[in-house]
Order: sequence, then C-alpha cells, then structure tokens
Amino acid sequence: MATARPGWSRRAQYSLFFSFLALIAGILVGLFLLALSLLAPARFESVRGAALDITGPISSALHEVTETAKGLVTGAGNYWDAANQNGGLRRERDAMRRQIIQAKAIAQENRQLKATLQLREAQHDAVAIGRLVGSSFSSPRRFAILSVGSSDGVRIGMPVRSPDGLVGRIVDGGALASRVLLVSDRANIVPARLLRGGIPVISQGRGDGTIDVRPLEVGRNPFKRGDIIITSGTGGLYPPLVPIARIVKLDDDGAVAIPLADPANTSFAIVEPPYEPAAIAADGP
Amino acid sequence: MVRAALATKRKIGQGPKTLAVFLPAVTVVAASLLAALPIVAEAGWYPDFGFLVLISWRLLRADPWPGWWAGPMGLANDLLTGGPIGLSVALWSATMLALDLVDRRTMWRDYWIEWGLAAVLIAIDEWLQWRVAALGGARVPIQAIVPPLILSICVFPLSAWLVSRIDRWRLGR
Repeated sequence: MATARPGWSRRAQYSLFFSFLALIAGILVGLFLLALSLLAPARFESVRGAALDITGPISSALHEVTETAKGLVTGAGNYWDAANQNGGLRRERDAMRRQIIQAKAIAQENRQLKATLQLREAQHDAVAIGRLVGSSFSSPRRFAILSVGSSDGVRIGMPVRSPDGLVGRIVDGGALASRVLLVSDRANIVPARLLRGGIPVISQGRGDGTIDVRPLEVGRNPFKRGDIIITSGTGGLYPPLVPIARIVKLDDDGAVAIPLADPANTSFAIVEPPYEPAAIAADGP
Repeated sequence: MVRAALATKRKIGQGPKTLAVFLPAVTVVAASLLAALPIVAEAGWYPDFGFLVLISWRLLRADPWPGWWAGPMGLANDLLTGGPIGLSVALWSATMLALDLVDRRTMWRDYWIEWGLAAVLIAIDEWLQWRVAALGGARVPIQAIVPPLILSICVFPLSAWLVSRIDRWRLGR
C-alpha cells in the first residue's frame, strides 16, 4: 500500500485490494464487538477479567514502588519541624479522646434505644481489603483498578468503600484484580441523603472527579456549602450511612460535591457484600 | 536509494534489528499498557497513548505493519485500558483505511499537514469515546472532552519524535 497505484503487477493489485478488504472486515468486526459490549456487557466478563489479571498485578507492583518512594520522601519531611508537629498531635489527641468518650456514650444510648425498639440490623463484614492501584486514563468514564479479585471473594456489583467514604462498585472482576466504577463516573447513580436534615437526594458523577447532587423533590435548593452527603441504603446495593461527598458549589437546582474518599489518596479500599444481596441480581451491570 | 548511498558508511554489525518487523506493533501495545501505570487520575485528561503511537507510526511510514494488524492491536488496547471492547478495533481499522485513502490523494506532506491530520484523527477518537460513553449510560457534557483533546494534540509531536527515533534504531540507521 505504499504507492497509490500498484502498476501493472496483478499480484500487487490483488494484495492492495485484499488489504482494503481486510481493513473493512476489521471495522465490521469491531462494530459488531462494540454493539455486543454495549448491549450485552456480561458476555465479555471473562475476557475483561483475564485482561485485568494481566494489568492489575503490574499496577500493584508499580504502586508498591511509588508508595515506597513517596514514603521515603514524606518520611524525611516528617523529621523537619518534628517538635511543632508533636505538640499539634498531642493537642489533637486530647480533643479526640474527649470526643471518643462522648461517642461511646452515644453509642451505648443508641444500643439501648434500639434494643427497646427491637430493631435488628444486618452486620456486614468486609469481603476483602485492597488498594486502588490504577485508573482509567483517557476516557470520559471513571474507573479504578483494585488489587483484589475473585480469588479473594470479590464479585461483580459489590460496593467498595474506604475509611473516608464511598468509593464505588465493582464492574469487572479478574481473579487477581478488579475494576471499580467510581462514584464520580457519570453512570454511577447513588441514592443518598443530606446528613443535615435527611432530605433524600440523588448523587451522580460528573466524569471529572466531582459529583452532581440533586434533591429528589423539586423545589427549593436544600444544599449549603460544606454539607455532607451520605448513602441512604435505598435500592439495597450500597449500605446506608456511608459518607459520599462534601458540597463545594451550588448551582440552579442542585449542587456540585467532591467525594470524601479521594481515590488518588485512598490507601485501603474495603469491598463489602451488597447490603441486600437481591440487589445485585436486580441491578445488573 | 540515493540518499542511503550518500550517507556515511555504516558500521559493521549495524542493520535492521531482529524482529524489526514486529517492533512497531510492539510499541503500540506497550503504549496501551501505559494504562497499567499506578496513577489514579481524578479526570480522564491523559492522552490515548495507544492511539497516539499508532497514528505516529502510520503517519511516519506507509507500511509499519500490514493494515489488518490494526484490529488485533485495537482489541489489545480495549482490553488493557478497560474501554468498551470493539471501539478501538473498529476505530483503528478505520484510521488505517482513512490514512490509506489520504495517501492516495495528498501530493506532498510536511510537519504541519501531519500534525493537522493527527489533530483531526485525535478529535474523532475523543468524540467517538464520548459518544460510546454516552451510549453506555455516562453522558458527560461535550465540553468535558476539550482539555484531553488539546493535551493529546500537544503531545502528538513528542510521540511522533519518539516513534521516528525508534524507527531509526530498529532499522539500524
């Protein structure tokens, strides 16, 4: 195909013709696969999982290296100004201790109240704990790669959280790694509510690391800057009372929020079983 | 080749590397594999490395690989970057076809034409990714693809330069 006209050689003419045919076949196969992956994503689960098993461990290994390097730098930085830090931390610890005592008292009271109401609450243990080791680079979608997979018990659809807040849910699972749909992805819609007042809202990613929050009921904009959004547990996929995001900007009929669990700085991500297992079957991919 | 005759004499032992035929395709897959870097990005502003290297090779030479290789390379890119399977297969094959047709029309080429062509191809790539994401349930505003588009177009000369260096190395020039 180097030249525009292959000349009189029949062989060259044929090879040019067949290379065009091969390219057109390639386009058709690609379109077919694309249609299949949009309409029936479950069909590619095993292939995608296998691909994740190739890239996931690479990311994990490189992640260890960068973490070590980062740790050395910050470790050196911590010695600088150590006395000041020490004082600050001590003050913080004392304040924290007072708060813990208060919280313990509240928890005890809560337990007693629940016992009198005879409320039963499903306790969920973590399925697996992993690290977020990578993410999608160049697409409008926001995915992250988690360093645990189906060999650790992770299944597609399970919610992922960090100590700070909700991270997202599993969409692809390999044996050694899995892919997480972050809360900042446009396709990730989380039923939520305002921590202050408990007004039901809907959180939907914006694709750029932030989240759109809309009230369920149309009317007055209920948000204020600094408000915290928590999951409501509606739908049964995400457990309730997990913090999601903090509101930073108001707009016409809602607000823009920043996820509390910053995937770039989350050290550990906890995979939990779905709050109500039936939700995964109903939710689909 | 007249130019090769005018060039300084090659040193002994210099020549095309073994497996030089496969090297361009290997670099494209390696570029796709950059997605495994341990960077957790908040926004998808990074360029589509695999596609950048693909068009860099194709704009540098007409025959870096047999055209149909674009399909399997696209599949590898889809799997490694976690994109919708099939998008890169179709898009990369179509890109090869489009550039073959462009080759039959253009009278001459220079840096600006190549950069312009690359910009158009990158824009089509970004737009299609946006379109497919919208079909997949993630309709972000179209303005969101502008920053990655500009970044990719600015990174293209760098990738073209790298690819030309690799090409010279692989052919032992």
